[in-house]
Amino acid sequence: MATLVKELNISPVGRVEGDLDVRVYMENGVVTRAHTQAAMFRGFERIMAGKDPQAGLIVTPRICGICGGSHLYCASSALDTVWKTTLTPNALLLRAIGQATETAQSIPRWFYAIFATDMANKKFANKPLYAEVVKRFSAYVGTSFQKGVTASGRPVEVYALFGGQWPHSSYMVPGGVMCAPTLKDITRAHAIMNQFRKDWLETVWLGCSVERYLEIKTWDQLLAWVDENESQKNSDLGLFIRAGLQFGLDKFGQGVGKYITTGTYLEKDHYNQPTVEGRNAALISRAGFYDGRNYSVFDHMKVKEYVEHSWYETVPGAHPWSEPLPTPVPSQSLHNSDVSGKYSWSKSPRYMEMAAEAGPLARVVINADPGHLAPHQLYDPLFGDIMKQIGPSVFTRVLARMHEAPRNYHYVDQWLRQLDLNGEFYIKPEERDGQGFGATEAARGALAHWIEIENGVIKNYQVVAPTTWNVGPNDASGQAGPIEAALTGIEIEDESDPVEVGMVARSFDSCLVCTVHAHDAKSGKTLAKFKL
Amino acid sequence: MANVLWLQGGACSGNTMSFLNAEEPTVVDLVTDFGINILWHPSIGLEIGAQVNDLLKDIIAGKVTMDILVFEGTIIQGPNGTGTMNYFAERPMKDWVKELAAVAGYVVAIGDCATWGGIPAVDPNPSDSVGMQFFKKHKGGFLGIDFVSKGGLPVINIPGCPAHPDWITQILVAISTGRIGDVLIDEYHRPRTFFTDFTQTGCTNVVNFANKIDGGFGKRGNGCLFYEVGCRGPMTRSSCNKILWNRQSSKTRANHPCLGCTEPGFPHNDLVKGSVFKTMRYLGVPDDTPTGNSKIGYMLRAGFEKTLGVLEGAAGITKAFNEGSK
Repeated sequence: MATLVKELNISPVGRVEGDLDVRVYMENGVVTRAHTQAAMFRGFERIMAGKDPQAGLIVTPRICGICGGSHLYCASSALDTVWKTTLTPNALLLRAIGQATETAQSIPRWFYAIFATDMANKKFANKPLYAEVVKRFSAYVGTSFQKGVTASGRPVEVYALFGGQWPHSSYMVPGGVMCAPTLKDITRAHAIMNQFRKDWLETVWLGCSVERYLEIKTWDQLLAWVDENESQKNSDLGLFIRAGLQFGLDKFGQGVGKYITTGTYLEKDHYNQPTVEGRNAALISRAGFYDGRNYSVFDHMKVKEYVEHSWYETVPGAHPWSEPLPTPVPSQSLHNSDVSGKYSWSKSPRYMEMAAEAGPLARVVINADPGHLAPHQLYDPLFGDIMKQIGPSVFTRVLARMHEAPRNYHYVDQWLRQLDLNGEFYIKPEERDGQGFGATEAARGALAHWIEIENGVIKNYQVVAPTTWNVGPNDASGQAGPIEAALTGIEIEDESDPVEVGMVARSFDSCLVCTVHAHDAKSGKTLAKFKL
Repeated sequence: MANVLWLQGGACSGNTMSFLNAEEPTVVDLVTDFGINILWHPSIGLEIGAQVNDLLKDIIAGKVTMDILVFEGTIIQGPNGTGTMNYFAERPMKDWVKELAAVAGYVVAIGDCATWGGIPAVDPNPSDSVGMQFFKKHKGGFLGIDFVSKGGLPVINIPGCPAHPDWITQILVAISTGRIGDVLIDEYHRPRTFFTDFTQTGCTNVVNFANKIDGGFGKRGNGCLFYEVGCRGPMTRSSCNKILWNRQSSKTRANHPCLGCTEPGFPHNDLVKGSVFKTMRYLGVPDDTPTGNSKIGYMLRAGFEKTLGVLEGAAGITKAFNEGSK
């Protein structure tokens, strides 16, 4: 039988934040190779060079309106390490609350507005649970859609109590936070988080209490939890697990099998004198690397960025502190791009020369490491077991994302209780020159900032975002990025509606808008076009 | 009833995120109760690929009516006027926008990037970004000084980084319910209903501003942030303290200096050394004085207040009223 070659133009896929194009080479409906293209350039690192050392507090949250609080967490932390600030427990708690509420916002908003509507795609129309999925998850009219999207606004109301507004506050500053909350703020914050729990988390999502859900330690226990009672079975999580397995979402989108986290939530009593070296030990959600066999502790000096296939003047792979500011070169539309040359505005970050997946799945994998563990740090074995039992996939990635909601709620509740209204919130630091590093886990994964200050202005500012890890193009050695790898091997059932490609890209919560092109794997030529 | 197309250029999606926080009405209410039909939106649109491409072409050809074009993000013109630093559906985004704006009932620019360039346009403006009809304070921008949409208005600017969700939803509803005649715009094309008063209007620190009492970070008192940490509340037109953010607060209520993000030119002073969270001064007087004050007038009034405050303090008149409490 002759090889069947198709070209699909999905331009754009949408429901992925920002601008991304993907070229997919296919044979007999199976993707043999994929190339991701970030299609928009703003040049933030260039804008910051020569500016006030605190410019990052205003500029970097505006790199991404979805993860703005996460950028602020990094920007303030990076300055803390340069200026050798002192951070009070209250300051660390209020920053962690900001990070956690931003992530809590993203969980239902991403699930209902971005991911779950794909489960109502006609691809799954012959599955027994399809009717129920359509009833709940259809855009706008689904019975859970409005509940989830509305509930997603609640956690950032807590962010606004301490930061003034969400998105785009700059309330975390070197030396602490701007605010000094009162009793009213704490009480309101508790009440708002309770509303989030009662309106969505326990009633719609879990069908049980947060405490009951957090008892689950293995894949078998999770499956048993689904069948334990009608409430859990019919919750949105229960439905997602049953339908996800029935629809085969556990069968595609594996990825590179290596995972990276930069960790987050600096514990209130472990990072009062911020240093780059002391950071890992102070984290609650750990910073690490898993190569598929072994865990290791994250070391930021092992990160390098490559630009061989990026639209910048080629320089050797370098650690962000030693990277020159990027110099753009002419770009092309996807159709005219030569993937053997430069084809994306994204750089290719590598850890010990390896491509690694960032995101919630990476977090739950690293937090399942029984070693490298201090008493204040998170240990959660569930996904260690899930990775052994069913491995990575679109399903596992989504489950990991949603798994964080109950713990996130629990953390915010606990941290609000620990705030000491008699304590300090800010200690004015002395400005200095030097190099700094700050990092966190944005909702969608590892985020880090590197800064160098010279003569009182920014000399170099480098940001490596989760989507850079996930969506970056090939590196100098031809090694594919994580989404490129996750797309390879997927089977596209209906080339006029390749929902599988969208689901893979959306399972990473890519901060980009997708365009997918498929080309003949052998000749690279366009052979046929199918209008959607 | 109004068909809305929402596109993003050099954007961070922050205005979309802000829009999704909307309450009374929510985004879903807009669709189900207020006659807003979202033709497509990059984050929540259902159509993909060629469906979007066809939709854009049908709008341009007049086969689909687009009552409102909402644009978020800058118009990226770089490099050298080609716009190829921002491809969308195989074309530079700026080329789509030019053709779409020509057939739109109304064009609404949302957020500082779309209104006047915002952060991407800060020197050295690596992507050669401009706003839809302004570049910083200068009228013109991408569509030019003379642009008016089919509805007879120039680009309606809803600035802010991000714009408040209510500012967005209310303008969309005004258009869809035939109330656009009630929307008056100012010299920067901002709806006057939101941008006549100042951020300071409704600020909980306004008494301390009048009494020249300094505030600062991490302090629970009622000091004003204008004197030391660069608050721009007295010279920024916005309703941030009248329509609160996330139903809870505002920057200045959370002890966060106003950044002046609803005024063209944000971030002010192009982030030069000494301009971030510090009040820039010359001979002790703030470079930027509250709107409606001459520099010399402000200096005399402020000097008088300060001196009187010191004298009152010396005379034993207590200032305890401005201390905050947990």
